[in-house]
This record gives sequence, C-alpha cells and structure tokens, in this order.
Amino acid sequence: MSGPNFDDLVDQGLDLEERARLLRVHELLIAAGPPPELPPSLASPPPEPKATLIPLNRGRWRTAGLAAAAALLIAFGAGWLFGNHHGALDVQRTVMMTGAGGAHASLAVLPVDSAGNWPMRMTVSGLPALGHRRTYTLWLTKKGRLQAPCGTFTVGKGTTTVRLNAPYRLSEYSGWVVVQSGTTKPVLKTETV
Amino acid sequence: MDVALRLPLPPPSRTASIPRVTFERATDGELLTLVGTGDRAAFEELYRRFARPVLGLALRRLGDRGRAEDATQEAFASVWRSARSFDPSRGSGAPWLYAVARNAIVDGLRRTPEPVVEPPDTASDEAGAPEQAEASWVSWRVHRALEVLPEHERPMIALAYWGGLSQSEIAEFLQIPLGTVKTRTRSALARLADALEGELE
Repeated sequence: MSGPNFDDLVDQGLDLEERARLLRVHELLIAAGPPPELPPSLASPPPEPKATLIPLNRGRWRTAGLAAAAALLIAFGAGWLFGNHHGALDVQRTVMMTGAGGAHASLAVLPVDSAGNWPMRMTVSGLPALGHRRTYTLWLTKKGRLQAPCGTFTVGKGTTTVRLNAPYRLSEYSGWVVVQSGTTKPVLKTETV
Repeated sequence: MDVALRLPLPPPSRTASIPRVTFERATDGELLTLVGTGDRAAFEELYRRFARPVLGLALRRLGDRGRAEDATQEAFASVWRSARSFDPSRGSGAPWLYAVARNAIVDGLRRTPEPVVEPPDTASDEAGAPEQAEASWVSWRVHRALEVLPEHERPMIALAYWGGLSQSEIAEFLQIPLGTVKTRTRSALARLADALEGELE
C-alpha cells in the first residue's frame, strides 16, 4: 500500500534523530493500513454478559460508588465539552469510502442536533459525472441492504464537497454506501481493511 | 423521632491497591485490572481504545465483515469475563488483550467455519502464517496507538494516509488553515512515535 510523501507531511528543519523517529512511524502507518471504520452497531461496547451475582462487600461497594462517580464526572465533562464546541473541528467521526477506479470519499459526521439530525460533509473524488437529472444517493446499510437514504448529490470534475444529513439513529445501521439514484449497486462503500 | 446510630467506622481498606486515575490516562493494564473488579466505565474506555484493533484483527482473520463484527462483540464479552485473570506483573495489557481477542475470534471461526472453496490452481502470493501474524501484531499496535490521538489530530492522519488527500486538500476539507494542518500532522506523528516506542527500536 502506498502512502503520502513523508517530505510533504513534515517540514524540513527537524533534527535527524526526530526525523528518523517520525519516518519510522510513517512507515508503520503505511504497513498497518487503515483501521476499520466502526459500524454504528459497534459504536458502544456489548452489554455485560449475564453473570452470577456476587454480593458486594463494603470495599467493593465503595469501589462501585467511586466508579459510578467517575463515570458521572466523565459523562458530565464530555457533555460540557460537547456543548461548548461548535465549529469545523467538531467532526465526530470520519468515514472513508472507496470504489472502483480509485473513486473515494471522506464523510465527516458532525454533531447530532437536538432533533436527531446528523449533519455530514462529504468530499467525493473519482466518481463519473452523470447525465442530465441523474444523481447519486448516500444510503445507510444494514446486513448488506440499503436501509435509509441520507440525501442525493451530483459530482463535477475533480473533488466535490456536499452537505448531507442522516435523520436516523446511526447505531441501528452497519455502514454507508453510495449508489446511482434508482439503483442498488454501490459505487462507493465504507472502507474495510 | 430520629434515632442516631453510632456505629464504628470500618477501617480503610488495605486491599484497594488500585489508584483511582482518570481513565484517559490509565494504562491498558490498569483498566484491565479495574475491569476485573467489574468496573463498567473502565470497560467502556478499554472498548474505546481497542474496538478498532479488534475489529481489524477479526477482519484480517475472517474476511467477512458481518462475522468480524460478531467476533468483535464476542471478543469483548470474553475480555469482560476473563479480565480477572489478567496479571499485570506478567506483562502489559495490550498483548493480553491481543491474545484474548485472537482466541475469541478463532473460537468463533470454529463455531461457524468458513465455506469450503476449491483450492486455487496456482500458488498463493499471500504471506505465510508467521508473516501474517507479524503483520497482524503491527496493525494491532498501530491501530491501538491511533486511539491516543486527540480528536483534532486523528483526521489529519486518516485523511493523509488513507483518504489520499494532500495537506492543502485536508485544509480545505476541514476548513482550517494549511499551517494548522501541518502543525497537527507533525504533532500527531510525534504522539504516535511516543505511543509506539517499542515498535521503533
């Protein structure tokens, strides 16, 4: 797998030792390949497997209490951070999609609004421009089937950036695909390793 | 009428040897130890760090995304069940998790074997088992290390390495200055170098 040119990523002027260290990371990133995108169904850990209930002694109750307090604190902190950042940097998740002939797309999922909309910014390259009134559609999928449309768009030459929206509970779906509107064959789909 | 009960307070526990640390700064081993005590919040942090590496491992081994997702769920259920057996004196958390996840994936494979296919006529160019194991381990470590990146640095790496975007395209996509992209990319690489120290030797 090829990757970006290291010299394009890192400015000149690094000392040799640091440069060698970062170059090694660069090589490892290329060797490792992309981490898989977590499908919405894996967005949260599995529920606790059923287990035998063991009565807690005082020490364990205290531990459990502290853990609950810590979780509450983390949840509060996360909520505070979430509620105080509204900008281009609030990308919740970046999903890579690929297709035939080097076509690819980056889908930046932005924070959900109070009504349950997940705004998304999609940058698409390499898809052919379609004829008059023909469009592409982004779909959420489940078990390999198109389930919920997230908007239509057209593309031009080069890179196209569009804003789309998913007014759904993302955790109920397993991936995204792009199809030509009115068809079911994906031209772009969520990248896997 | 209120009745005040005067009971002797229990002495401080001598067995609580695990310091309460912020989960984000806790090592994988500390989290595993907490998970072993039934700490759900620690389990969730562990999941945040390792969900992608486990799914990546399952995809490499199983090939099929649906089965890999099931195997990932099973691997974490297995982590939850067996975390009490983790012994921090015998090594760090990541190799232990790797072993538990790999075993869960292999067990899942035994339960639902891959469909039988005709053997190919020509020799495979695929790497042999040791090379595959080495590649899986490197991917595991790198994907785990990516989870240490702050939210504002992770997209720089993802878009540059796997999105095929140049630095100026990333700036345009994220609507931030090019200089910021360069600074964050370098910072992310340095952070990864720190996290992957063992791999760099």
